[in-house]
Amino acid sequence: MSYENKMMQLKQMLGKTVDKQSEKPMFKKPDKPEYLHRWEKAGLAIVENDFGVLFKREVEYPMDYVHGDFPLSMFFDALTKWQGTNIEHPYSIGYDEQVVFFDTETTGLKGVGTNIFLIGLLEAQSDAFVLTQYVLADPANEAAFLFESKFWQQKKTVITYNGKSFDWPQLETRWTLNQHLLPKLKTHRQIDLLHSSKRIWKNNLERMKLTQVEEEKLGFKRSGDIPGFLAPIIYTDAVKSGNPESLMKVLFHNEWDLLSLISLYIHSTNLLLEGKTDEAATTYTNIGKWFGDLKHTQQSDNVLLNVTKSFNDEEAGLAYYYLAINQKRNKQFEHAANSFEKAIPHINNREKLKAFEQLAIIYEHYDCQYDKALAYTMEGIEYISTSHFFKKEQQQKKIAEWTKRLKRIESKLQRK
Amino acid sequence: MFSKKRTIDELLNEWMYDEELKQNIIHWQTLDAKPARFATLPDQLHPSIVKALQARGIEQLYTHQRQAFDYASTGRSFTAVTPTASGKSLCYHLPVLQKILEDKSSRAIYLFPTKALAQDQKTDLNDLIELMGEEILSYTYDGDTAPAIRQKVRKAGHIIMTNPDMLHSGILPHHTKWVSLFENLKYIVIDELHTYKGVFGSHVAHVLRRLKRICAFYGSDPIFICTSATIKNPKELAEKLTNTTHELISDSGAPVGKKTFLFYNPPIVHPTFGVRRSSILEVRDLATRLYEAGIQSIVFAKSRVRVEMLVTYLKSLTKNKIQDDSIQGYRGGYLPTERRAIEKGLRNGQIQIVVSTNALELGVDIGQLQACIMTGYPGNIASAWQQAGRAGRRQDSSLIIYVANSTALDQYVVNHPQYLLGSTPEEALINPENILILMDHLKCAAFELPFSMTDSYGEFDIQQLLEFLQEEGVVIKTSSQWYWMSDRFPAHEISLRSASQENVVIIDQSIPAGTKVIGEMDTYSAMTLLHEEAIYLHQGTQFQVEKLDWEEKKAYVREVDVDYFTDANLAVELKVLNEDKKAEYKAASVSYGDISLLAIPTIFKKIKFQSHENIGSGKIHIPPLEMHTNATWTSFELPENWSEEMLTSALTGAAYAISSFIPLYIQCDRSDLSVVPQVKAVHNNKPTLFIYDSYPGGIGLSERVYDLLVPILEKTIQHVNNCPCQTGCPSCIGAQDSLSESKHKVIKVLSILLSEMM
Repeated sequence: MSYENKMMQLKQMLGKTVDKQSEKPMFKKPDKPEYLHRWEKAGLAIVENDFGVLFKREVEYPMDYVHGDFPLSMFFDALTKWQGTNIEHPYSIGYDEQVVFFDTETTGLKGVGTNIFLIGLLEAQSDAFVLTQYVLADPANEAAFLFESKFWQQKKTVITYNGKSFDWPQLETRWTLNQHLLPKLKTHRQIDLLHSSKRIWKNNLERMKLTQVEEEKLGFKRSGDIPGFLAPIIYTDAVKSGNPESLMKVLFHNEWDLLSLISLYIHSTNLLLEGKTDEAATTYTNIGKWFGDLKHTQQSDNVLLNVTKSFNDEEAGLAYYYLAINQKRNKQFEHAANSFEKAIPHINNREKLKAFEQLAIIYEHYDCQYDKALAYTMEGIEYISTSHFFKKEQQQKKIAEWTKRLKRIESKLQRK
Repeated sequence: MFSKKRTIDELLNEWMYDEELKQNIIHWQTLDAKPARFATLPDQLHPSIVKALQARGIEQLYTHQRQAFDYASTGRSFTAVTPTASGKSLCYHLPVLQKILEDKSSRAIYLFPTKALAQDQKTDLNDLIELMGEEILSYTYDGDTAPAIRQKVRKAGHIIMTNPDMLHSGILPHHTKWVSLFENLKYIVIDELHTYKGVFGSHVAHVLRRLKRICAFYGSDPIFICTSATIKNPKELAEKLTNTTHELISDSGAPVGKKTFLFYNPPIVHPTFGVRRSSILEVRDLATRLYEAGIQSIVFAKSRVRVEMLVTYLKSLTKNKIQDDSIQGYRGGYLPTERRAIEKGLRNGQIQIVVSTNALELGVDIGQLQACIMTGYPGNIASAWQQAGRAGRRQDSSLIIYVANSTALDQYVVNHPQYLLGSTPEEALINPENILILMDHLKCAAFELPFSMTDSYGEFDIQQLLEFLQEEGVVIKTSSQWYWMSDRFPAHEISLRSASQENVVIIDQSIPAGTKVIGEMDTYSAMTLLHEEAIYLHQGTQFQVEKLDWEEKKAYVREVDVDYFTDANLAVELKVLNEDKKAEYKAASVSYGDISLLAIPTIFKKIKFQSHENIGSGKIHIPPLEMHTNATWTSFELPENWSEEMLTSALTGAAYAISSFIPLYIQCDRSDLSVVPQVKAVHNNKPTLFIYDSYPGGIGLSERVYDLLVPILEKTIQHVNNCPCQTGCPSCIGAQDSLSESKHKVIKVLSILLSEMM
């Protein structure tokens, strides 16, 4: 039967109600799902609280457990490294912070109709890391599930992968829907490792999917993992059929995600704070630029100089460029000019044009070498007209700007 | 060549002595100016508001504005029917601003049918707030709102101005981000209520039911304030749309300027066939006279094609002037930036004549125009008055010319001026019970909040429908509730604007390296307007459709310069699915129910400009479109001695005549309802006339026809009988090929039906 025909049948069943505005009933604990014990047999513990029922799975990892290239205990070394610097950095963590690695699985991508069905937490305890996974028993028992996450209790530092724009807002949404039952959700410090990965591996990694980062940077390869996009169907099926077999695989998937967050934090810290050069020049240039953007110029200079020393000029092109920008900001015009000149043969597009521009400015205004300023201006104009990078209108606008500069420098040259 | 500037009154004085013109003016009526009626400002009105009003020179309110304030302050929802330029916005601004000043946590939603109207009103409201010197935050929230300020809008905006589409897919499915709005929502303002009719209105009725459901969840119970142009049933429409009881304010206290109405009928050029001169050409000549007199005018035409034809004709007035944009077209399908530029040009007087479809009927602010020409009857009284209201908005003398087409309805109206000037306008219908629309929104509602086993939705009992959604696999049932559980986002799959959800994008590839999108069109219209080889007109420029990618919904066009336009035919097959109502007579029956219909585009014709002769044709290669809808149909016994051929032409003529008169009773466009004759209907093998809603699932129009069939038939017979032609003409039963007995046969068929039913 076609959808329309079914609709025509349904139409016959459509009834109308008379206004029956009844008061909202008092909270009544929802019934337990009938599959409670089948899920328990699969390895999930039943937890009951004032709001209903949920499931829980706990795994303990000893400190010397190795995930990918890193033993978990190196996390504490990473904290020590941050304490050893005086750099204020958005990814630096203090000893006094309660750190929790956090990742969820959901039934969809957005909107109020998307449920969180799995909350994964990984926390350091005195002698081990403990993984705690809470599983939504069914949508009716959601308040119980959220309550158990304890995010209402204590201020923590929450480390995620894309949690700032996905997991956390989703949790806030679910919390709002249950606000009449739950204590208020606390505001926690958020550290999103997707953002740091983007800064560190821009132009180095093609995609920033966590599994790709694991394979290429953390020395970890999953086997037997289910793809994340299947999670919604698997959970729905588990609730409908009562069979938790595939659901357990989603829990393992989530577990790997969380373990990788620790390794990722360790590795990122090492890259940021140690002068090693195991990675490509691009990575260290990115890091240098990041410090620069955070106004840690000294640190930025150190990293970028290190790149220019450790790699050949071609690889270090961009490093020279960013170094030049730092140097100019610090009014070291001669150094800046040198660095820009080093960079120019190996950089492209926007950066290359900016380098010509900066050189023209330095030679015109600070060094008064008008002939050099003129030469770079002409090179700039030539580059705009031959490069395919700029859109037509942009190109015309830029050429107009640059021609002004050209005229001005020419007149200065004549006066001289 | 005399082309000196004149006022409306001077121009009319000249026309009084213009014998040529006077022959065609069937009726000349002046509506006198009406003085304003005032009421005092309410005592409790906040001093800041009083200050702002005084700064605008307002010391008293019009009576209807005061009544609005009083209803709102006693907590009653109301609908205000207000003519153009009667200060309707104060009907809602005053109570809303007052409430916010009394309690700063209060919130309000303003709903406008389009983004453009929201932008317009925002400027107006912000001016008012600035004069008040209070910190009240009002924002538009739509697809154009920058992501950076969205958070601020959600948390802090006192007044959110948006449109139903954004509410449907951008706000309601994310209501947890709008907690402060929904917890404190005091007013929902619905401007231009009369536009919420048909499919769109039925969808919006559900969006509002979903909104109320979310408000209830957060503990608010907002008051509805609606404003509407004149329609027959504003209160009923408002109540059905909002599922809330409304008070009605229908007596406007605003002053009205002197209006002169001219009813203009083009002269007959072919007496035997009753052919009149084309109304387009007449309008061209009249508009030229207005242009030369320096009178800023708006010309309404019913279709996009006619708008473009008129623009082409009229632009010849300015072709010798360089960079003269004083004549412009305006219609759906132009890009927003083009539209904004035209609106601005009208306000600052740069544009002298604008030719528009009904897109400019709505409250888009284009300032004061002096004259309005309607090319053909817009289809209903409400629209006609809306269009007429575009002229003389600010109390000046104004001129409205109605130029009749040769269709039956147009001829009826031009010969019965009192129909337009004196009678009540038509009803606006919506049908929230349309099961397809209801199911769409039930999904959205389930997505937004779970349903309990005892919940209803709006006025509907939906437990069995939820059962069905469970079978579909998108909701699950726990011990006490129904929960949405699917990774789909239902609001994105549902468009409020049309039943067919996708639009065809029109891509200009005249310059191979610089292809660009120049417009879009709904699929149903695209079948007859964007088929391959069709001539598509955009801002007076002709484009030929070179390739239509129906799968991807893209039409590739190239600029051309030809002396013809194209006109396409659509064949229709009908099947009865279900009969809900039936009235049996001796030799005839009338039924109402569900039908399925197959629309098949067949051929197109190339028709020459000016002479309108057929200069070629071709086949259209577009797959048929299937649709389920509601219909009223009437079957009768074949009169003895009639051949099938005779019957075909009689039925076709009868269908033509009937379809013309339906809009006299129900507010709809002629295209909202279709009348299709079947010599042998599939379900009963009898001659049958089907009158169906042109939208999937139906919107309640044909159901009204079931009740109104007798008066419609009466009007039709009377008109066909009175038509001066001999054998049938476009003004009664449609153009006839031969000197046959068609007219007589049509009357016979109609009389059989009528006498059976009386």
